Amino acid sequence: MLAAAGRARHGGGCDQSSLARILVDVSTTSFQIEVPDTVLARARRGESGALEQIYRAFERPAYTLALRMLGDAEHAREAVHDAMLRLIERIGQFRGDSPFWGWLRQIVVNEALMRLRRDRGFDADELPADDATPGDATPPWAFADARRVEHALACLPALTRSVLWLYHVEDYTHQEIAALTGKSVSFSKSQVMRGSQRLRALLEPQQEPAHA
Amino acid sequence: MPDHDGSPIDRATPAPRGPHDDALVAAALRALPELAPQPDLWPDIARTLAARRRPPATRWILPLALAATLLLALLLPREATTPTASTTPAVATSRATAPATAPATDAAGAELDRLRLRSQTLERWIAAVAQRAPQGSRDLMAAVEVEDLIGLVDVQLTAASDAEALPLWRQRVALLEDLANIRGSAYATAALDDGLAAADASSIRIH
Repeated sequence: MLAAAGRARHGGGCDQSSLARILVDVSTTSFQIEVPDTVLARARRGESGALEQIYRAFERPAYTLALRMLGDAEHAREAVHDAMLRLIERIGQFRGDSPFWGWLRQIVVNEALMRLRRDRGFDADELPADDATPGDATPPWAFADARRVEHALACLPALTRSVLWLYHVEDYTHQEIAALTGKSVSFSKSQVMRGSQRLRALLEPQQEPAHA
Repeated sequence: MPDHDGSPIDRATPAPRGPHDDALVAAALRALPELAPQPDLWPDIARTLAARRRPPATRWILPLALAATLLLALLLPREATTPTASTTPAVATSRATAPATAPATDAAGAELDRLRLRSQTLERWIAAVAQRAPQGSRDLMAAVEVEDLIGLVDVQLTAASDAEALPLWRQRVALLEDLANIRGSAYATAALDDGLAAADASSIRIH
């Protein structure tokens, strides 16, 4: 059985105390799942059972990553489908000198980025500079529930959302994101900043209209 | 630079994290629930894998079909001027006519463009022929084998760098030519049958 170490699933609302707990609990990406060498060896021989074991272990983090980047369930399904096939085709080339999960995650990211490039026009799909500036008040996501954060995230342009997710959740560096997207490091930084600002704006409570 | 083929990337450079605000947005995003694909994806993946692993008994069909149609390769058009100009596209330029005098730095790009163009031409030709000629079961199986191989190349092309793309495009064009040969033999047979039928009908009318 594969060890699903590092998996952290949280939902529901966030107050300051639960937020502090989350900060401790989800310090690693949910992709960090150890695959035993015996399973990898069987998978390299093409054993269906081992391949399915690997798929089952990673289907949720892989699909979640693709869905957050692409923002579309069907496109995310296709990306994971193609990524898994690609993984299976190339599993014989996996040298084992780095974590298997990192290799698989990179394949999923590449598949998702490839679809963004193909379907949406990479260059046109980014967030422009925003007038909103971060204030000193507690950020709205500290009190937002998962559904609202999910909704706000879905409102971001796909490329901005992808950069934000890769940086904040998957721990990619700005340099890595720049290389993956074919953009500059400044671009990655600005998209993280603007994406965070836009999230903040989307999660701000609506102002009540003033009574006459 | 990360490897777009899926190899792990250098993670030596630590991510410059921002202030407390950054940690909070990271926490909020990480707190979102994980989701699973619905419906289950594995049956689709397993089906695709099974289709790619055909029984060894069928493996001989592809080389046999390719060998049998090798002669047709010499007769097939290399490039069509327009897709609708003719049912059998006219010969334009061959591989041998690629610009040999182009600068070395542009040579790869020029060849890539030429391969893409040739690939499009072959695809149009194959699509047109497939609509006009029925396929025998052996040809069909051979064609499916080649189409699977083209699919594999396409998968690799989706994430290939420019340097990796060139050999893959060469391979894709070669496979398309094989497929054209297979489709072409069925087309030639169908055209021959049509010609004989027309001759028979004309002969009946005369007499």
